Order: sequence, then structure tokens, then C-alpha cells
Amino acid sequence: MTADGKYLLEIKDLSVTYRAVHSPVKAVDGVSLQLRKGESLGIIGESGCGKSTLALGIMGLIKQGSIEGEIYYKDQKLTGLPEKKLKKYRWKDIALVFQNSLEVLNPVLNIKEQIGEPLKTHYNLSPPEIDQKVVKLLEMVGLNPKWRHYYPHQLSGGMRQRVLLAMALSCDPELLIVDEPTTSLDPLSKNEIVRLLQKLQKKLGFALVLISHDLGVIKKLTSRVMAMYCGQVIEAGITSEVLKNPMHCYTRGLLNSSPNLFKYKDLWGIDGEPSSGNSVKGCAFYPRCCQGEESCSQTRPLLKYVALERMVACHKGGIETFLRAEGIRKTYKLKNMEIEAVKDVSLEIRSGEVVALVGESGSGKSTLAHILAGVLPAEAGRVFYRNKKVEGRWATKMIGGMQIIFQDPFSATSHRMKVLDVVKEPLDIIKRGSKQEREEEAVKALQTVQLPVSPEFLDRYCHGLSGGQRQRLAIARALVTKPKLLIADEVTSMLDPSTQANLLRELKGLQNRHGFALLYITHDLHLARKVADKVYVMYKGEIVENGVSFEIFESPKHIYTKQLLKDVLSVSRDAPGS
Amino acid sequence: MAGVLKLLLKPIKTIKKFSLLGKTSFIVILLILLVAIFAPCISIHPYNVSSGPPLSPPGGEHPLGTDELGIDLWAQICYGARVSLLVGFLTALLAALGGGLIGIVSGYLGGWTDKILMRIIDIMIVLPDLPVMIVMAAFFGPSLLNIILVLALFSWVFPARIVRSQVLMLKEQGYIKSAETYGAGAWYLIHRHFLPEVFPLVAVNMVRLTGRAVVAEAGLSFLGLGDPTSKSWGLIMHHAINFAGIYFTPFWKWWLLYPWLALTLMVISLAFISRELEKMADPRMGR
Repeated sequence: MTADGKYLLEIKDLSVTYRAVHSPVKAVDGVSLQLRKGESLGIIGESGCGKSTLALGIMGLIKQGSIEGEIYYKDQKLTGLPEKKLKKYRWKDIALVFQNSLEVLNPVLNIKEQIGEPLKTHYNLSPPEIDQKVVKLLEMVGLNPKWRHYYPHQLSGGMRQRVLLAMALSCDPELLIVDEPTTSLDPLSKNEIVRLLQKLQKKLGFALVLISHDLGVIKKLTSRVMAMYCGQVIEAGITSEVLKNPMHCYTRGLLNSSPNLFKYKDLWGIDGEPSSGNSVKGCAFYPRCCQGEESCSQTRPLLKYVALERMVACHKGGIETFLRAEGIRKTYKLKNMEIEAVKDVSLEIRSGEVVALVGESGSGKSTLAHILAGVLPAEAGRVFYRNKKVEGRWATKMIGGMQIIFQDPFSATSHRMKVLDVVKEPLDIIKRGSKQEREEEAVKALQTVQLPVSPEFLDRYCHGLSGGQRQRLAIARALVTKPKLLIADEVTSMLDPSTQANLLRELKGLQNRHGFALLYITHDLHLARKVADKVYVMYKGEIVENGVSFEIFESPKHIYTKQLLKDVLSVSRDAPGS
Repeated sequence: MAGVLKLLLKPIKTIKKFSLLGKTSFIVILLILLVAIFAPCISIHPYNVSSGPPLSPPGGEHPLGTDELGIDLWAQICYGARVSLLVGFLTALLAALGGGLIGIVSGYLGGWTDKILMRIIDIMIVLPDLPVMIVMAAFFGPSLLNIILVLALFSWVFPARIVRSQVLMLKEQGYIKSAETYGAGAWYLIHRHFLPEVFPLVAVNMVRLTGRAVVAEAGLSFLGLGDPTSKSWGLIMHHAINFAGIYFTPFWKWWLLYPWLALTLMVISLAFISRELEKMADPRMGR
């Protein structure tokens, strides 16, 4: 039946519906996948997204629900096969390592009996042979054979995981499905299990389906990965690529919530809960998506190729690109020399990203920022905001557009204007809403940046404010237009650490909730490491290195970046001691 | 517009901060202003008709004496204050408005407009103003309006230069750039940012221009180029000087001295006020 017989496992449009008391729950919703011999596939997603149900579905172990769609194992259709025939495939061809817990092992059988059970049913071996085989299996999974005489509750979690693995491997399956192999394990035994699985796959050559929400494990063990949400596959691709550059907001949310990928970055979960119950009409992720639009709730997005080996189910083709700059160049002409401030710089900022632009002073960071915002004309190159060329001021003079905050807080706000007038100035110029609405918006923006909103403060002149207050005022003024992209030039330089932390958290919050993107220009590498998703390193007008922040910070390639990181980050490490 | 209104109320606060000299000067100017406004009430005698014996010394019926036609000098000075103040203030206002606008345009637009305007300003500065003023006053005929126009024509360059440099500086400020990114047009920037920002500087300059215009008008009148029908202080002096052999008589002691005194008092007071305001506008000066 299959197009080519090369696939070991092929699933076509599989749906699993559980018969619940009130309404049926669709746990797996139209999932298709192919797996070749010896391949490894990771399935990630939040709990309750249908990962385990998919595994059970493949094993034919769904008892309480109905299955639609087709599952092929080596050209043999498994769906619809009677239980008796299915049993032949189970364990012998497809084995499942259950999620580790006491319940999955029979408490009244000792380990030998547990592992021996499938051997008995599939191979008809004699008791001494079984014993021999069990010893061999236990040795293979790195467990002392003496444990075979004990009962499950007498074993530790890590040991039980090994027992489960030994059970699954007892009949030499060609496809191993592993469900959460490392949850509830301490880091040491976790690493051991991961190494064991790596070793075993190499040795035995089985195909692996790994279900986990531990992205570190997925990264180590799988070559391809699928992200599931509400029973649907929402993104699929090569593991290293997906983890480096997720193209769906959901996958990115999962990455941002994982501490083990990049240790320094802040943790952020995805807001809201997955919609439970029946499948929704539109995009399942729409209620929680940071770039969702009304139209997303109309139809369900199909899983489509958006790049090489990358499929995403999103109406917008994955995470939107907000700003794209190509070949920006700028030269300052002084009396008898020319300074190339920006040389052929290209950069990209996607929705919901914090992009840090780092580099020493005088490297052209601010010039680049001014060009991006259209404050300075570029000599060459183009800037696109949401795929439309930036010309004139259209991108900055609208609500929900692009905004720039200048570096010097004292010149960024007029000293003879009042706080309220400063903050609502953009709205006054854009002529949005009534006077009262503008004032309300301004007060909200002031609260965001933690400035007082008492009438007495609103009526104060800016020259009576401190540097930090004026900096926050400038930020509030930029936020009042609810920008989608903020170009922030050293905006926290004058703030005390506490305000800075609060402000950055607030911005990160906007980022995660509304897909707000930030180009954060700084020379504070500690801060950049904490907040940035992507990093561009600028040196003498050129972008010498760019990439995902954990790559840049953990393994810089360019000599300048290396030097920069070494100087800044190592000095600080010594600081407390000295 | 509320901001501009506030700025107009501000002078009262500013004057409180004046030094003693500044306050005295302000009172003098205020007195001259009151004298000019209430001239008909405080001068008992008419200013253009003979009301007593000619060339009578101060005292008695004529507190400042009379001229050769027997016209009361006090009345002449009271009415002369009107002319002097009118010429001074109107010239300053015209010059400040015109010059300020030209300065903003030149500074904000930059480029060719700026270059052309700056060259014109250079020419105006280099031109010796008194001879040209004399020629023009003679050419256009001696009327008060003409004198004001001619004076304004030579005065606008000062505020224009000040305003231009200020606007050039402001243009680079972050808040102006931000306002531009929100889509603010030239008109918004001018009335919301540039005008309030340059207003104090122009105001200071206006006081100085007033003093200059008063002296210039007196000078023109003194040379006989003023409006002969008006009664400005310069014209009184012109008549006094033209009286043959005035220095051989004691007549100059009142006929020439009092208008001169009034003029000097006014000009000096204006100069003090302008210095006082400059100090305030730019705290780095003085102090």
C-alpha cells in the first residue's frame, strides 16, 4: 500500500478520540509521520498534547477510544487488525518503554518474571534459557543481574527505568518507542539513561521514537523532531535546526521554557492553557499565540513546508519577520577623512524576539539603529518592516508600528514639557482618540515603566526629573503607541538594577504575550546574555558574528567576539573575589 | 497653545527675580509707559500749541519750561514718549517675528534655503545701517510707519541668527527626532517645540532691539529725517539744536537736557532689563 516500501513505520492522518463522560476528547488529531529504519524521531510538547496517546495508538493499546486513520508497519496495515495478530507485532517488532512509574510494573512479580513474560509468550523458551536471557538483558542495560530476584518497589527510579528498557528490548524490536525516559530522574541517572539509549541504538540499530518534554534529551538522542499541540503536529524538522531556530511560536515557547538549553537565559512559559475538549475550528494555538489575528480562528492551518526539511502549521507561515535590513551602508564625511560607520549590514528581527546588538562604543550601533528607524538616511541598502519597504515615516507613525528610543535620556525628552504631555505626544501627533483616552493610555504606559501617576507628578516639568526617570519617560512615550518592534538604544544605562530588572521583565512579558520584538542595543553583555534570543556582534561597522544567543555566548567563532566575551565575562567572574 | 499663554504669564515671575537695578529699570520703563498712555491727562498744556511765553525756564506753570514757540516741554516729552515707545516696540516686534520665522525656516529646512538666507543676513550685517537708513528714510518720505519699517528691516537679522542657531541645535535633540518619527509636521514642531524653546531668547533680544530702535528713531529725527508732524524726543532735540546759538544761552539746560534725559533713562533701563533677562535665559552667564 505505501508509496515506497522503505518506511519502517508510516502513519497517515491518525486521530484518536477518547470517549469521555461528557464529550469525546480528541487526543490525537490528524497526525501523519514516516520513520525509516534506524532513524530517531523526537516528539515534544506540553503535557496533555497527545504525545503518549500517539505512542499507545501506534502500539494498538487504545482501549477507551476510537482510532481513525492508518498505521503501516513494513507495509502491513496495523489499524483494524484483530488483537491476536497485533500481539505478534507488539514487543517483537514494536516495543514501548512506558513512562516510568511504579504502576507499570506488576507489584507481585519480581524483575525476572516481569522481563521474562514477553520472552515466554514470543519465543517459548524454557525457564533456564529465560533466566540466561534476563541476565544478559540486565547487563545490557547496565543493571546488576542480582536485582532480578527483587520486586519493583524495592528498586530505585533509575533502576526501574532500566528494567522497563530491558523489557522493551527483550524481543529485539525494530522500533522502540520511549515515553519520557528521564522524568523524575536525578541528573546523574538521567545522563546515564541517555547514554545508554545512545549506545543501545548504535549497537542494536532500532528505530527510535522518543517522547519527552526534556529538550536536552531530545537534542542528544534524535535527528528529527515533531512538536505537538492539542493532538496536532505544529512543527516538524531536523532537531538541531528546530531547537536553534524554531519557526512556530509554540515551539519557541517550549524552548524558552527549557532551562537546560541555555543556562543563563530567563525562563518564560507559554501563557494560557491548551484548549481542552473537542478540536477547535481554527488554529488550535490561536488563543495563546503571540501573533494571532482574528483570521487565525477561522480555518485550521495545514502542515506546510516553509523551509528545507521544515514543516510548520501556521497561517502566517511560522513566526513573522518584523524587520529585515539588507546591505545597509553609511559613511560620515569629516574634514579630511571618511568614517565608514556602517558597512553592508543585514539583519532580521522576527516577531517576539529580543535581538541584542552588542559591540564597543563607536562600532556603529547607534547609527545602524537610526537608519533602521528611518531617522537617518542610509547610503545604500533597504529596510523592510513587515515585508513593506520603510520609506518616510509610515512605520513609526502608527499605532502598533516600530518605535525607537534614543540613547541620551536628557535629550530624548524636552526639559520644558510636562510629564503627561511628553508621554502622550505621539498620540497627539497621530491624533488618536479623545483627549481623555490619550491621557489614560499615557498613564498606563507610565505605570508600565514604574513611574508615579499622581496628578502632581504628571504635572511636573521634565527638567525636574532624574536621568533614570527621564529614561523611563522616554520608554513610556515609545510604549504608548503599543509598538510591535522597539529599537532601544542603551535604554537601561541610567536605571538602577532593580528598575532595570523590572522594566526588562515587563518588556519580556510583552514579548511573550503579544509577540513584541525588541532590538536591544547594549554593551552590557551580562544583560544581553540574560534577555536576548539572538545576538548580533558589531565591530567597526560590520556585523562580525550573529546567531542564537546561546551559540554566540557559549561558543563564539569570531576572534573579536571571543575577545569581547573573555574580557567582559571573565572580569566579572573575578569581581566578587577581588 | 496653553504653553504659550503660560510663557506670557511668566514675565511676572521673572521680574521678581530681578536684581535691584533690574527692578528699578523695570519701574522706569513702566513709568514711561504710563506717561505715554496717560499723556493727555498728566500734561496740563497742549503739546502742539503755544501755551506761555517762549523759552521760559522750568518752574511755575511750566515744570520743564517751554521752547521757542512757547510750547510746554513736559507735554512734548509726554507725547514724545508715545512715539518713542511705539517705534521701539513695533520695530522690535516686527523684527522678532520676521527674524524668528526666517531663523526657524533657515535652521529647520537647511540646505539651499539656509545658505541663501545666511548670505542675505551676512550682507545685512555688513551694510552700515545708519547711512542706509538715512537714504531710505529720505527716499520713502518721513512718516512714522516708514521709519518703523526701515528700522525693522535692519533689525531682523539679529533674532534670525539667534533663532537659527538654536533651531540647529534643537534639531539634533532626541525629542525632536522622536516627534518626527511619530509623523510630526513642520507646523507641529514649530509651534510645539521650536517657538516655546526660542521664545525666551527672542524676548531678550526684543528688549535690546527696542532700545536700539528708540535710539535710531531719535537719531533719524535728530537729523531731520523723522516725521515732522510727530513729536518724538529726537525731534525736540532736533529743533533745539537748530535754534541758532543755543549753547550761548541757558536754554539748552531745559530744552535739550530734558528730552535727552528721558531718552537716556529709557535706553539705559532697557539695556539693564535685557542684561537681566539674558542672565536668566542662560544661567551659565553671570553668576
